Amino acid sequence: MAVAWIGNRETLVERAAAHAAALLGSSRCPVFSLDTDIHGTRAAIALAERVGAAYDHADGAAVSREAALFTDKGAMTVAPGETRRRADVVVIVGELPQIHHQFVGELAETVPDLSAPDLSAKNQREIFLVGSNETSAPRLSNGRTATLLSCGEAGLGATLAALRAQWRGRQTSQPVSNFDDFAKALEAAHFPVFLFSGDATDGLALEMLQGLITDLNRKSRASGLHLPASENGWGSALASTWMTGFPLRTGFARGFPEFDPWRYDVARMIAAGEADLHLRISSSIVQPKKKRNRMALIALAKTHEPVAGAAVTIAIGEAGVDHQAVVYSSRTGSLRSVDARAASELPSAATVVRLVASHVSAEAALPC
Amino acid sequence: MLTKIAGGDIIDPVNGRLGKGDLWISDDKIAAAPAAGAADRTIDADGCIVMAGAIDIHSHIGGGNVNTARLLLPEQHAAHQARPATTPLSNAGWSTFQTGCLYAKMGFTTVVEPAMSPGAALHTHLELADIPIIDKATLAILGNDDFLLSMIRDDASSTMIEDYVAWTVASTRALGVKVINAGAAAAFKENVRTFSLDDVVPSYGVSSRKIVKTLQAAVGSLGVPHPLHVHCNNLGSPGSADTAAATIAAAEGLPLHLAHLQFYGYGTEGKRRFSSAAARLAELVNATPEVTIDIGQVMFGQTVTISSDVMRQFSARGSAQPKKSVIHDGDGNGGGIVPYRYGKDFYGTMQWAIGLELFLLIDDPWRVFFTTDHPNGAPFTAYPALFELLMSREARTEMIAGLSPSAMALSTLAAIDREYTFEEIAIMTRAAPARLLGLTDRGHLGAGATADIAVYRRDDNIANMLGQAAYVFKDGDLVVQDGEITHYRWGKALRLNPSPDKAMLRRLEDYHQQRYGLSLDWFDFPDSAVAREQPFGEVACRT
Repeated sequence: MAVAWIGNRETLVERAAAHAAALLGSSRCPVFSLDTDIHGTRAAIALAERVGAAYDHADGAAVSREAALFTDKGAMTVAPGETRRRADVVVIVGELPQIHHQFVGELAETVPDLSAPDLSAKNQREIFLVGSNETSAPRLSNGRTATLLSCGEAGLGATLAALRAQWRGRQTSQPVSNFDDFAKALEAAHFPVFLFSGDATDGLALEMLQGLITDLNRKSRASGLHLPASENGWGSALASTWMTGFPLRTGFARGFPEFDPWRYDVARMIAAGEADLHLRISSSIVQPKKKRNRMALIALAKTHEPVAGAAVTIAIGEAGVDHQAVVYSSRTGSLRSVDARAASELPSAATVVRLVASHVSAEAALPC
Repeated sequence: MLTKIAGGDIIDPVNGRLGKGDLWISDDKIAAAPAAGAADRTIDADGCIVMAGAIDIHSHIGGGNVNTARLLLPEQHAAHQARPATTPLSNAGWSTFQTGCLYAKMGFTTVVEPAMSPGAALHTHLELADIPIIDKATLAILGNDDFLLSMIRDDASSTMIEDYVAWTVASTRALGVKVINAGAAAAFKENVRTFSLDDVVPSYGVSSRKIVKTLQAAVGSLGVPHPLHVHCNNLGSPGSADTAAATIAAAEGLPLHLAHLQFYGYGTEGKRRFSSAAARLAELVNATPEVTIDIGQVMFGQTVTISSDVMRQFSARGSAQPKKSVIHDGDGNGGGIVPYRYGKDFYGTMQWAIGLELFLLIDDPWRVFFTTDHPNGAPFTAYPALFELLMSREARTEMIAGLSPSAMALSTLAAIDREYTFEEIAIMTRAAPARLLGLTDRGHLGAGATADIAVYRRDDNIANMLGQAAYVFKDGDLVVQDGEITHYRWGKALRLNPSPDKAMLRRLEDYHQQRYGLSLDWFDFPDSAVAREQPFGEVACRT
């Protein structure tokens, strides 16, 4: 099976890697977008330092919103395991990514193993949804539906603000639907947990949610469960943070890491024509948008054919499918080792990135 | 390869070697002087002191909470200069790479991350594996986890508890066990806001004292070389000296290590009801030979407090500077990240003075350990300045002149004449940590020891001298020359490897399925996941 191409021409991986390295070496402004495992991220950041690149997640906006909650505001959070064990009230905040719906369903089907005698007469967790009638909620078992907390057409941030204000006993021009049920549930609750993601929730809404959680903790306990918009994205953010001190949207243009979530928004850099070379690392194939400039593309993807328009394509395996990997798991709230489900000879992203880096001239060995 | 470090002043208290002489290295080990033959390489150490590589027993250098602190404070650790070509990412502020380089430059060759959440063991080891040059080790946190609390509540046998502790140590690749405000994190989840040694965790009916004593016994029975590492209750509170005193008394003849005692050296005298109880605690430590302590010295300036004592960190949120924090309820302890600036006001001065009093009033350098509880009291980069304060009364006097007189009036520090000698420094930062951790291969310069060696050029300015080693060898490899890193090498994480009991494994599998809906392998990992050659080095349990 062919695994590397220069343009549409099939070639050896070594040769494709050398060509990719040459492109990186001559690039004025290389940018990387990542959708990969921890070791793929580590290798990519080491390469980024060597070639002066900026890097971001492939869907950088959502991951950036989540990182900004921590860099700019701080948070109260809880582990997913402890959520399952303790949460007697579960509040879904806005739309959650599909990957988390199974866990929400599991919460609906189980009861806390502490405080269980104090649950409602139905012996089940109370579940609420902050949003609107249009908010797509995870499907719950036995036909259960989450109790909707909404302010009509108001956005999520405004609804959370109204919820927070009403909880503090303040008047709002538009009351939150089912607020009395919510207040009653909170008053009886031992450990309510708010499930949030940056996927469809803007930064100020995330901050308002944290304000509400802080208010609740004045007299009782509550916390928020971070369910990342992208598990790969959050894993990459963590690896970037320990390697450089900064999350994603960090660049090495001046030889050292600089974190600037606007300047190093890779999607923006591409759209603005700032980038002249794009290295995309993702096991899935994303067809590039119609070219508006002369930016070259190096695609590392799980593919059996060259990616359209790419100067270089190298096939990589999928983490946890083709090869063993370390990934972020929202189910444990930490990094997890996963075995290959269907081991193949396709190389990992880390292997290919290191091969590319080995062709970039440098005085020192790569750190990872 | 045979290397001779020639003509240095050798300070090796373990082997009684003090004075001018040569030190030989054969590959990665210290060797006896050869009967014949010349060295392949000679290092001129004339005018230098030669000590074993230093060992830090308590420094938060990696793991989930440390990384969250980085994430919380991008403004505090911006890189400030272009990277040198030989050491990638070494100037990336507060990165794993910079951590290894800065420690190595000071002559440290082994550092212990003292608070590894078992559930984040893989994350912790991945970070540690990206810290170059030095060896690392971790202490696994127990004492707020449901499995242990339930076993204690249900009067499980000591054998079962030991099996669980052994499994935790083995599966997390830890070198020891730490308990942090035993029971308080579990109690905090049930809305308890203060927690002392004899308070009881709701839903379990187990006291903090019982948890500490249970773990102390298990650690001892398993032959874990490092005694149970205890972060006491009531950290930072006025009157916390009473808690520390009660915990010291609870050692009851068995080894116990109390972490960052400075943060418990607080009395309630004076109009602010905040005073030094250091003299009292030092006296207790002096009289209790089974107890060892480290200090957690405060130094002035900006830092960030990182602790798995989530209850304490929650209560400290109001003092955050800058005003942001993270509080995380974890599966066991969780953690809190609260940035803080130690000022030279009454309170900051008092904390600074208490740490130094403890250092200087505890007589035995084998039982008091050199830490700032990085970064809680100060970043480890403050070590050179701290060495100077310990070794020079004049330096202390100069410093005191610029501090709060009302705080100093409640401290004995100004009246203390003691100055640490280099031999005492070598004991406190090399020999004693190695013995405390069970690392027989390091902390001394005897033949056969791992060639971890620090060479410092004598200088009247102690901070300059100990802050920038002239030469540092790690495993016989010259990694620092004239205070600069020459190249990277990759150290190991030192670990114990007790055999897990099969019945306990089955029990834990059932437990994880029931409580978390996940099989046990979600929480375990193969060594290969760390993606370094030989990421771990095994240390033997005592028999």
